[in-house]
Amino acid sequence: MSGLLQKNIDLAGSNIPWLEGLRDKGREAFILPTAKTEAWKYTKLRDLSADDFVLSGTDEDKSHGEEHCTCGQGECHCHHHHEPQTNLPFAGYEIHFENGILQTLAFDLPKGVMIKPLMEAVFDGDDVKKYLGKDIDLASYPFAALNTAYLEEGVYIEIEEGVILSKPIILINHTHSCHQNIMAYLRNVIVLENDAKATIIEDFEYTGEEKSRYFNNIVNEIYINKQAKLEHYKLQNEAYKAVHISLSSVRVREGGFYESFCCQKGANLARNETKISLKEEHAEAVVNAVYLMNGWATIDTTTDIEHLSPNTKSQQLVKGVVGGNAKGVFQGKIHIAPNAVKTEGRQLHKALLLSDDAEIDCKPELEIYADDVKCSHGAASGELDKEQLFYMRSRGIGEEEAKRILVEAYLNDVINQISQEDIKTWMLSQATINQEEK
Amino acid sequence: MSKTPLLEIEDLCARVADKEIVKDFSLTINEGEVHAIMGPNGAGKSTLSYVLCGKPGYEVTSGSVRFKGKDLLSMSVEERAREGLFLIMQYPVEIQGVPVTTFLKHAVNAVRKHQNLPELDTMEFIKTVREEGKKLGITPDMLKRPINVGFSGGEKKRLETLQLAILKPSLAILDEADSGLDIDALKVVAEGINAERNEHNALLVITHYQRLLNYIEPDYVHIYADGHIVKSGDKNLAIELEKNGYAAFVKEQ
Repeated sequence: MSGLLQKNIDLAGSNIPWLEGLRDKGREAFILPTAKTEAWKYTKLRDLSADDFVLSGTDEDKSHGEEHCTCGQGECHCHHHHEPQTNLPFAGYEIHFENGILQTLAFDLPKGVMIKPLMEAVFDGDDVKKYLGKDIDLASYPFAALNTAYLEEGVYIEIEEGVILSKPIILINHTHSCHQNIMAYLRNVIVLENDAKATIIEDFEYTGEEKSRYFNNIVNEIYINKQAKLEHYKLQNEAYKAVHISLSSVRVREGGFYESFCCQKGANLARNETKISLKEEHAEAVVNAVYLMNGWATIDTTTDIEHLSPNTKSQQLVKGVVGGNAKGVFQGKIHIAPNAVKTEGRQLHKALLLSDDAEIDCKPELEIYADDVKCSHGAASGELDKEQLFYMRSRGIGEEEAKRILVEAYLNDVINQISQEDIKTWMLSQATINQEEK
Repeated sequence: MSKTPLLEIEDLCARVADKEIVKDFSLTINEGEVHAIMGPNGAGKSTLSYVLCGKPGYEVTSGSVRFKGKDLLSMSVEERAREGLFLIMQYPVEIQGVPVTTFLKHAVNAVRKHQNLPELDTMEFIKTVREEGKKLGITPDMLKRPINVGFSGGEKKRLETLQLAILKPSLAILDEADSGLDIDALKVVAEGINAERNEHNALLVITHYQRLLNYIEPDYVHIYADGHIVKSGDKNLAIELEKNGYAAFVKEQ
């Protein structure tokens, strides 16, 4: 049995039957995928199950002696209070998580906006019960099942009808695991009522030892009601031995719009998965992403977009840059239901291979059961253009710098689609390939 | 008056994909001089320029090249550029996603770093680029566009000339700089190049038409055939060539 699913973990709210029932379903449904599991055949989980991860925030996590600390700072800061800090070049409602544990929420929110720790929303009897786990088939998403088994940390965000939030809500996830390998489970529920508009940013960074190994498992449940619009941005810059597995499950109702962009550049093993149900007419989704990596990393971008009603629309542009011995995986599924006529589903994946040992696995999948639809997918991979490299070098630009400039240029047309100027600028500055591990 | 040699090529042999194209080529270019190499299409003139710039795939099999007294052949492509070698390419490459100004700034700072000079102030740099661009008819809008993408033949050559004006190389090689240019564009480019000439730098003009040489007057003209120089003379040789064609000279061997 996998060491990921531990017994006798003390979770808050274990006396609430519906919550504990949900966790039980998660425990029952979790089976670690193997090489034979279709959804995971390109992304090998390697030694994930053999790892001795300790759940973040438990007594076991805190019980280490400082003499075992490997962070090399003389004094261990793992459980000292870290002042929330961020280098983001824009203001927003910042929500800080440290090693997957929510820190204090300290800001004034406009009327009609609620942000609460998930468990507080549960105890307060808020609508969170209506949403938790409702759209996720745990049998199909083993890591969402695992996340459900550990359901406790995260936030509940509710934007009331017609409320337009001008500043972004920023979920900043710092991991500074240094003495032992921790695992952390985050569950965020985000609800936009009719005509609401908001922006969510997820930022995953490590602040400790760059070689630290940890496992972040995130599930976002996103509900976009009629004519509401959510912009969702994510930067995944975990430590290079970390594991990051994330699922965003999104339901979009009539005229609603989900626009997302994800940049993945960290971790040894990462999957950013997005499942979108365009439930009602004129629901729309944009799911763009870039990924960049070196070393031995595997970075996976998986999408599943269901067009369930007529006149729904989805667009995906994903571009990756893979060097070293790394591997990029893209799995993109578009499902068009029999009644979903006049829908439009577009998907394009392109990758740049920087070395002979780099690998790309791409699996587009179209399931079209309706006539009168516009659907397309494309995939391409190639190498850096030698003539371009020579041209730049012949002007004095060093080979490494020329490569870096060309890589950034390759990704910029995806990033330039970001509609908010300050977020675009930030992402442009972040989309650089991390140094190869030494 | 003794002249300072800038480029000294001795018995250079080079090949591309196992085909010997440059054979026992020798030429010395001193500071302040303009040399023209003329030859028929397919004579390997572009190969010579690529060999001098160190383009991958162009292999030197024997001979030596010294640039400002240093061994040019042991330098990487970028080191040659930083030392002051510049090639105006016949077909400048398009680079999607990299704006002209960004590209120029990277290039200038790479050269300046090599010379132990501090990086240029961005505002100052943009001002300089705009001023130099204006002389060549390059609008601020063109400077924001990706390098050469959607540029006409004339615009591409003007952009090459702008890079020359900004990078201020010691030796510029013009590889068929007049191809794809109408007469007005040719004048603008030639004027731009002439404006950068001084007693310490030099030009190597590679062309198969005499036309360009009406605007950039050479001190020496060399006829290039079968991988090396078959005849040298002054600018009158170019006029003679234009009249009689290459055949007479190529036959002489």
